[in-house]
Amino acid sequence: MIYIFDGAMGTMLQESGALKPGMCPEQINIENPEVVQSIHKLYVEAGANIIETNTFGASRLKLIHYGLEDKVREINKAAVENAKNAAGDKAKVAGGMGPTGRFIKPLGDLDFEDAYANYYEQASALAEAGADYILIETSIDIQEMRAALLAAKEAASNLPVICQLSYSEDGRTVTGTDPQSAAVILDAMGADIIGMNCSLGPEQLVPIVKKLAENTEKPISVQPNAGLPVLINGETVFPMSPADFGKWTPELIRAGATYIGGCCGTTPEHIREIAKTAAECKIPAFKPLRRRLMLASRSKTVTIDKDLPTVLIGERINPTGRKKLAAEIKEGSFISVKREAIDQVKAGARLLDINMGVGGIDQASAMRRAITEISQLTDAPLVIDTTDAEALEAGLRIYPGRALINSVSAEKERLDKFIPLAKKYGAAILCLPLTDEGLPQNPTERLEVMDVIISKAKKAGLRDGDFILDGLVMTIASATDACLQVLETLRLYREKYGYPSTMGLSNISFGLPNRPLVNSTFFSMCLAAGLDAPIMNPYDEAMQNAMQASMALLAKDPNGREYSKNESFLAVPKKAATAKQVDMDSISSIKAAVIEGETEKVAALIDDAIAEGKSPNDITEHALTAAMNDIGVDFGAGRVFLPQVLLAAEAMRGAFIHLKEQFPAQSNKDKGTVVIATVKGDVHDLGKNIVGALLENSGFRLIDLGKDVDAEKIVRAAIENKADIVGLCALMTTTMTQIDEVIRKLKNAGCDAKVMVGGAALTQEYADEAGADAYAADGVIAMNLANEMVKKE
Amino acid sequence: MPIYNASLLEINSSETKRYAGLGNSDFPQSLIDEACQEARLLIQPRGCWEMYDYDWEKGIVMASPNFRIEGNSILKHLRGCVRIIAMVATVGHDVENEINKHFQEGRYSYSVILDAAATAAVEQLADMMERAMDQEFNKLGMARKWRFSPGYGDWPIQQQPELLRISDAGRIGIGLTEAMMLTPRKSITAVAGLYWKDAGCNQDSEGHDCSSCCKYDCLARKKF
Repeated sequence: MIYIFDGAMGTMLQESGALKPGMCPEQINIENPEVVQSIHKLYVEAGANIIETNTFGASRLKLIHYGLEDKVREINKAAVENAKNAAGDKAKVAGGMGPTGRFIKPLGDLDFEDAYANYYEQASALAEAGADYILIETSIDIQEMRAALLAAKEAASNLPVICQLSYSEDGRTVTGTDPQSAAVILDAMGADIIGMNCSLGPEQLVPIVKKLAENTEKPISVQPNAGLPVLINGETVFPMSPADFGKWTPELIRAGATYIGGCCGTTPEHIREIAKTAAECKIPAFKPLRRRLMLASRSKTVTIDKDLPTVLIGERINPTGRKKLAAEIKEGSFISVKREAIDQVKAGARLLDINMGVGGIDQASAMRRAITEISQLTDAPLVIDTTDAEALEAGLRIYPGRALINSVSAEKERLDKFIPLAKKYGAAILCLPLTDEGLPQNPTERLEVMDVIISKAKKAGLRDGDFILDGLVMTIASATDACLQVLETLRLYREKYGYPSTMGLSNISFGLPNRPLVNSTFFSMCLAAGLDAPIMNPYDEAMQNAMQASMALLAKDPNGREYSKNESFLAVPKKAATAKQVDMDSISSIKAAVIEGETEKVAALIDDAIAEGKSPNDITEHALTAAMNDIGVDFGAGRVFLPQVLLAAEAMRGAFIHLKEQFPAQSNKDKGTVVIATVKGDVHDLGKNIVGALLENSGFRLIDLGKDVDAEKIVRAAIENKADIVGLCALMTTTMTQIDEVIRKLKNAGCDAKVMVGGAALTQEYADEAGADAYAADGVIAMNLANEMVKKE
Repeated sequence: MPIYNASLLEINSSETKRYAGLGNSDFPQSLIDEACQEARLLIQPRGCWEMYDYDWEKGIVMASPNFRIEGNSILKHLRGCVRIIAMVATVGHDVENEINKHFQEGRYSYSVILDAAATAAVEQLADMMERAMDQEFNKLGMARKWRFSPGYGDWPIQQQPELLRISDAGRIGIGLTEAMMLTPRKSITAVAGLYWKDAGCNQDSEGHDCSSCCKYDCLARKKF
């Protein structure tokens, strides 16, 4: 049957006159219950068979804005009574819970547990008062929805929970969740009905309903707005008429919705139209979905299945045997963990295994931190790898997605503790054929152990699509048939369960020479035998190559199209062939290397030149200085850009350092002394640094005073160092008056250094008025001007 | 109004190139990608905003106390707007420290590109904040003008303290130096005007297009 929800409450309250500006809409449940009841009645009469309580903002975190935080229970209770009174036996009552208006950490400042407590309190009040459903609605963040769903299932364990997110026009929620990931996460966590409301009209929601229906067997609810709002005579109006709105009902039902109602701008008339058109609709027969293993992050779902490309699980976030990483985690630094997350995804990992197994630390808090940081950085779903039940729960609880648990064996403690956590948080489990007695001896025994794990998990409520099976790799050096055993195990897994399989591979080659060869060969065999998701090092080229070739061979990469895109597999690499070989003399070679910014080549080229008998002066003048001149000209003409000039400066730096090492006696020959500073009050100094780098690497002696520098200090440094040039930088209009001040003080002190000024806010006019000798619009001009200044002297 | 620290799953590399003054040159993409990636590790995105009624005829933001906006360009930009959103965003200090470190160690070019990536990141963060707020007021039938910051056109940066006050920027750690510079350095403040759709107030351009800025030799200026 099609269930019909009601429509908007807020606008009806406004129209009734009971809701005064500035008043809390939920307070009317107590102060004016008749009005609320009469609106509910209108909806029931129009044909709604589920009506929603007037409790959208009746949670503590919302009521606090009106000073009503002590009335959570009272308001929710009154609201349910009002609804029940109107519903009689004609309709059920859904206790509504709206968003908190805040984002949960780390996206915002609200603690997950505070959000949970907020919803727990409201859901228990609604349940106690006799609501028939809990309806979590208009949520824009999957993490807030998770907190509310967990709370509702614990506070009102006998009530079905409806979870409705709000999607934007791009088909995602504000915080990036797509309907598929929402379906995967919420279905697994035990939502009873999954859907959406608000933000968009029915037309825009049809494709989202479809997407949900393709990914969950749970009933789907949809409560659209009456179109997209427009302004008419100074008032916001949702333009879609009841008749037009009703016309979308068959479309929504065809797409898969069985609970339909309205949100902003909908009235009893809209609901009447839905009820009318729904009654005439043929309801599509329930089509069961094949349950596949789907894991999801906040914004992406990854499916592992035998007909899909192999899914690489990155194993690198694991401190076992990695002293540096372990030490960092122990010290509370997660920079390497974060780097590994990004790098592995870049290298092709589609799931990331997270292991925080460092001795002597609070593993639960490390796991919480790692998962929080990584889920902000990447959209790859996570695998929580731990033997510690507390760390597991800490991770599962705050992960805004559906994780995989690595691992559940047939050891008693794992079965007893891990499986309930998987069920509660909607995680999938990686099943490892191990028992308290040890390792099973052969494939048949492995299957027996798997039976134990799977049947126990199914008893706890896990279903097909919640399992991935580990092949359990042993070492061939100690067990001759270890590889054959694994291959047989994989075949049996597929034959018996049809679930996907996984394993860590590198154990196989322990103690053998040329392990990469053994590993990649073994890997190819396993892929052929049915391995779906290897846990491996994604930076291992031999393994990556074996995987790409195997995918082509196993028809998971049709006709090897993806394989062919990998340039490193081409017999003649495309780019290397075009590298030009031009014979240049040694000076020209240095010059070219500097212009191209090839720092790493410069030292060797200088050595060649010296061996040929060129003097340091020749090199400096004809290669280095000439290179900077050329690049300056190119920059002025717009042929090269600042970062390229800086690359050249880096090469110059390398050249000077090398020359100084070779000819220490020559090191004090410079073009002149420049004192440079960013003026007082100004804290931006990248521009000044660039000028300094260019001057220093074109042969000046540089004294960089830094940023936010006092006028007196600049004057003193100029005199003490007998500066030829003083360079001043100011970025903002608020600080450029300091330029005038410094110039005045330099003159008063009798300093005859030339003054060059620059910075974003400065102009030639300003420089002239301040009495500067020169204005440099950019670093290259500054370098050229400085060369001119010392030449004149 | 909320604190929203959006997660950036990537940093826009073409914007990074623009801020680095690279235009469309064939600078090694690998260096740009590396900088964008490193920036993602270092940034600590934080943002928050507040919404206020706005009297566009008088240029007054109805905060308590009121805030009178000065500057013709911003007043013109907000013409017809009935509310404004005061927003602030930052990517924190760590990335800035790393930019300086790279420069001091002689990786000048990379330092400049990392700096540009951090700029691109803070702008993206502000874009994502707008996306979060849009959903709220779109429901009310309102539309948003592109965000405008002190220092654009003739909007004096001396108004920064007021903007920090009305956006309650202290709660995400954004402060100001005496010379009106934001700390951390990679931070932005802005005002976005809201107007009733179909009320005769039109978006004059798609976004901040550099046209109201008189810094014609800016290396990141958008070309038309």
